[in-house]
Amino acid sequence: MSASKFARACLLRPRIAVCVGSGGVGKTTVAAALALEAARSGRRALVLTIDPARRLADALGVAALGNQPEELPRAALAALGVPPQGGLSAMMLDMKRTFDDLVDRFADSPETRARILANPIYQHVSEALAGSVEYSAMEKVYELDAQRAYDLIVVDTPPSQHALDFLEAPQRLVEFLDSRIVHMLIHPAFVAGRLGFRLFQRGARRVLQILERVSGIGFLEDVSEFLLAFEGMSEGFRQRANGVRALLLGPETAFVLVAGAGRDSVQQALELRQRLAGFGASLTGVLVNRVRIWPGGGPPPDLAGAEGSLGALAAALAASEGAGFPAQAAAKAALGAAAGYAAFVRRDARETAALRSAVEKQGGYWGAIPELSGDVHDLAGLAQVARAIFGSQADPGKEALHAG
Amino acid sequence: MTPLRPPSLLDRRLVIVTGKGGTGKTTVAAALAVAAAGAGRRVLLAEVGRDEQIPSRFAPGSPPAGYAGREVHPGVTAMRIDPFEALGEYLALQLGMSAPVGLVLRNRAFRQLMEAAPGWRELITLGKIWHLEQMQTSPARPRWDLIVVDAPATGHGVSFLSAPRVVVSALRAGPLRRHAAQVEALVEDPVRTALLPVALAEELPVRETEELVRNARNEVGISVDRVVVNAMLPRPFPPGLEDLDERLRRLPEGAPLGALPPASVLAACAGHLRARWDLHERWARTLAESIGLPCVRLPYLAEGVEGPASLAALGAALLAGSPSEAA
Repeated sequence: MSASKFARACLLRPRIAVCVGSGGVGKTTVAAALALEAARSGRRALVLTIDPARRLADALGVAALGNQPEELPRAALAALGVPPQGGLSAMMLDMKRTFDDLVDRFADSPETRARILANPIYQHVSEALAGSVEYSAMEKVYELDAQRAYDLIVVDTPPSQHALDFLEAPQRLVEFLDSRIVHMLIHPAFVAGRLGFRLFQRGARRVLQILERVSGIGFLEDVSEFLLAFEGMSEGFRQRANGVRALLLGPETAFVLVAGAGRDSVQQALELRQRLAGFGASLTGVLVNRVRIWPGGGPPPDLAGAEGSLGALAAALAASEGAGFPAQAAAKAALGAAAGYAAFVRRDARETAALRSAVEKQGGYWGAIPELSGDVHDLAGLAQVARAIFGSQADPGKEALHAG
Repeated sequence: MTPLRPPSLLDRRLVIVTGKGGTGKTTVAAALAVAAAGAGRRVLLAEVGRDEQIPSRFAPGSPPAGYAGREVHPGVTAMRIDPFEALGEYLALQLGMSAPVGLVLRNRAFRQLMEAAPGWRELITLGKIWHLEQMQTSPARPRWDLIVVDAPATGHGVSFLSAPRVVVSALRAGPLRRHAAQVEALVEDPVRTALLPVALAEELPVRETEELVRNARNEVGISVDRVVVNAMLPRPFPPGLEDLDERLRRLPEGAPLGALPPASVLAACAGHLRARWDLHERWARTLAESIGLPCVRLPYLAEGVEGPASLAALGAALLAGSPSEAA
């Protein structure tokens, strides 16, 4: 199988591709490039971003992205080689809205719904229970996938130190709702029990009361109110959460890890890989973004003995630039630049070697996206990234280096 | 406008280093701590993230310093401010609670409940920083000359700092208001405290830094008198040869160059270095102009920054940093 076929098989085959990675590695750009490539191969693709910056909207040439999929203009897509049966849509997840929809779905009465939405604790709970924000993204994916309007949904997950919290979030929320402290707060009278627990109960209530007293906020009351209202939703929420989890860990979903070439970024990627494996998630590919690649590919040559050829370069420069051009200095500077760039190329290869061998040993796809000369801020730029991943007639490394 | 050079960071009591993930914020915080210790300061280097990162910057694989702290370099003590530990300490110290507090704070369900409560983590973390700033070994001699805080990545950066102000404006009286007011006074005191944003000279980090500085001024009132622009690439060619890559591109392909790579490869290498350098220069200038503050440029270090020697070198560059390179 050719490299580009293998890339397609790993990165684009399933119905859902979840891009994970730490912040600042270009995850949003890579997600959009994957969706564009799927569209070019004739599929209806959707890229779902959580990045509130307007960059993706700008890059895709649409006015604004909202909580509903926005289809890109056909003419712009056709110009990039997207066939008539293919399509590309984009949306930006409104996480608060998605969580509200969830409350809507499971609240047992309009009164319950109103009570939950008006509760001050609710305003924070979706963010505060770590991972719930990420979870609401997956909730949206589940809903969109069920509609089957797209052949491929590419998800750009939030940049966070703990980028996989969303896999745990449903379980954690359900566990929290079921926990003893919750029942104790809601129904203190029903708590009978052992001495240790009573002691704990007293302590917890006392801590909360003091927090209330010093803060002047009706904390205990708001929490009880919220939990009481949420209690009736617990079962529906649990079932839904199980469905989302099954989809994410099932064969329809592939995780694509996006990393940078720096030491910290590679380290974080290795850890993320371990954690994904721990969840039983299927990591099919790793893309290292912004890697410096030697022109034409391959390892850079050893330039240690090249000093002796500076005279030849100076002569060639003098011939093409004419007299008056400081050809000697220019030749020296050119060698300096080549040696400097070669050092960058070797460094990136060295820093990413451990990640590469770990991925390849497991039969996953490993791809390096060459560092481009400029920022990606339009569809053409995204197409360039897609070509760098999936290949094209032109050598991607060479093309990137000459662009801009 | 050419801004004046700001006073030294070493004369502050508290420097809060902040920036987007991947900008090298933690490295800059560690470098500042090492430089300050080298200048004779007793430095506390505090981080607030969930995973401790600082001790391993000094020696790979070293154990966490934890809440108790540990000296990681002569004159530099590292610690991680855990909000639950700080809460326990606060409740025990200020409110006279002891035995049940530990039991309660270790309970998983209680912790989850507290995770759902807004604002207290930021408040208690800043409260702990204030407490550390107030500590004295003997009267009139502070325990720490300088506290360097590796703050959460921006997005949370400013809301982290505005917690005391929010509490002060929300409460009319009570011990919490009094404590929050003391913390707010420290955060907003331009003599004792400075916010040090760390940016990269690229589009996204520059935009984020502009917003951070705006919010710091408008919403927090913390002093920002300079910004670090990290990982700046060096000028690729000597003066007078600015368009070297174009000249190389004009060479005939197949020109005999001996042991050198072909002309097109030389041109590609030079072109890449020039394009990235241009990009860095452009965004560094954009940032300096839009925020009207000196930008201290730190060099890109291809081999990374690890260990005291490289941290010291970077710290020296940070303290000596000129506002901007001559064009």
